[in-house]
Amino acid sequence: MEQNNSLPPFQGLASPQGAMTPGMPIFSPMMPYGSGLTPQPVTNTNSLSLLEEQQRQQQQQASSQQAGVPGGLGQTPQLYHSQTVTTTTLPGNTPLYTATPLTPMTPITPATPASESSGIVPQLQNIVSTVNLGCKLDLKTIALRARNAEYNPKRFAAVIMRIREPRTTALIFSSGKMVCTGAKSEEQSRLAARKYARVVQKLGFPAKFLDFKIQNMVGSCDVKFPIRLEGLVLTHQQFSSYEPELFPGLIYRMIKPRIVLLIFVSGKVVLTGAKVRGEIYEAFENIYPILKGFRKTT
Amino acid sequence: MAYQLYRNTTLGNSLQESLDELIQTQQITPQLALQVLLQFDKAINTALANRVRNRVNFKGSLNTYRFCDNVWTFVLNDVEFREVTDLVKVDKVKIVACDGKSSDYFSHSSLIIRPRLFLTQ
Repeated sequence: MEQNNSLPPFQGLASPQGAMTPGMPIFSPMMPYGSGLTPQPVTNTNSLSLLEEQQRQQQQQASSQQAGVPGGLGQTPQLYHSQTVTTTTLPGNTPLYTATPLTPMTPITPATPASESSGIVPQLQNIVSTVNLGCKLDLKTIALRARNAEYNPKRFAAVIMRIREPRTTALIFSSGKMVCTGAKSEEQSRLAARKYARVVQKLGFPAKFLDFKIQNMVGSCDVKFPIRLEGLVLTHQQFSSYEPELFPGLIYRMIKPRIVLLIFVSGKVVLTGAKVRGEIYEAFENIYPILKGFRKTT
Repeated sequence: MAYQLYRNTTLGNSLQESLDELIQTQQITPQLALQVLLQFDKAINTALANRVRNRVNFKGSLNTYRFCDNVWTFVLNDVEFREVTDLVKVDKVKIVACDGKSSDYFSHSSLIIRPRLFLTQ
């Protein structure tokens, strides 16, 4: 593991301090590094970035003890101070400072080192939304008079209607509720749902547009390198399920945000289960460093 | 009972017009005209099913579609009808297709659906 590389700047400063925990190198793999519940990527050994992350977490605390942080040298002793504190507290006690990568974190977020963002933005592929038209509908009338409608009550108790712009499909039920699928953005989904509502309204029903809600968003992207799915399922088994005989993709159920990712050997990733666009982006930013750690090198 | 689909065709309409004339001139009763039309339905359905062997291909862009009461209705634009021998181009065609194996008045679903198309321009 890359963690074993020592960091000369720290160690250089550590010696005069003497405050370092004896016998315990900072980046030992033996450290209680997440109690096995937190998906952790391989640590970033960039000392500067870790220093920045420590500082960021300290600043988040906004504790009075940290007031007046001097620039440069003054920060390093504080870094050591916090490290000493955290390594001597028992797991479960709230440390004085925020959980650093060296303490057991709440097992919901895959920790990411302070590396730069992936530069890849997942593209939205499908949005499913629902809306209540607020009145009972006669599906046979709708199927007979509207264009591009299918109604086969023996098979399915709804009218399936499609429009070309935005290219979407709607399921319209006799209760007045409607499901709109196929849009590529939230605005398009809302616009499409309004178009369907207008079609129904023009047929003579007193249609309204109540409780429009996006129920699911699907995004996809490409990390542009092959991935060792076997390795990923070994280390992240609480979150992953990989049955290549059943399905060629690894199914990763991220807890926070609650997103399901389908990860393929080719490096393509599908993210689904989001209610808002930000969850897709957040999930991808969380998984990207983990995937980088399982890049295929042959 | 056979589909009454073929009454609105050139052949079916001519028959209906002739029957209306005969009714006007009191030569036949409306009841008889109805029986004639029912017999026409049966005859045209069996004729198309058993005596027609040729195959026509067509290709065009779909304008609208509808499926209700087990009947498909399509409106296509810029359609080319191709038979081995010749080619016919049309701007607009409306296709009304009923289920091939089961009939109007039988509600069981069929295993194979071979729609019989009747084209009106």
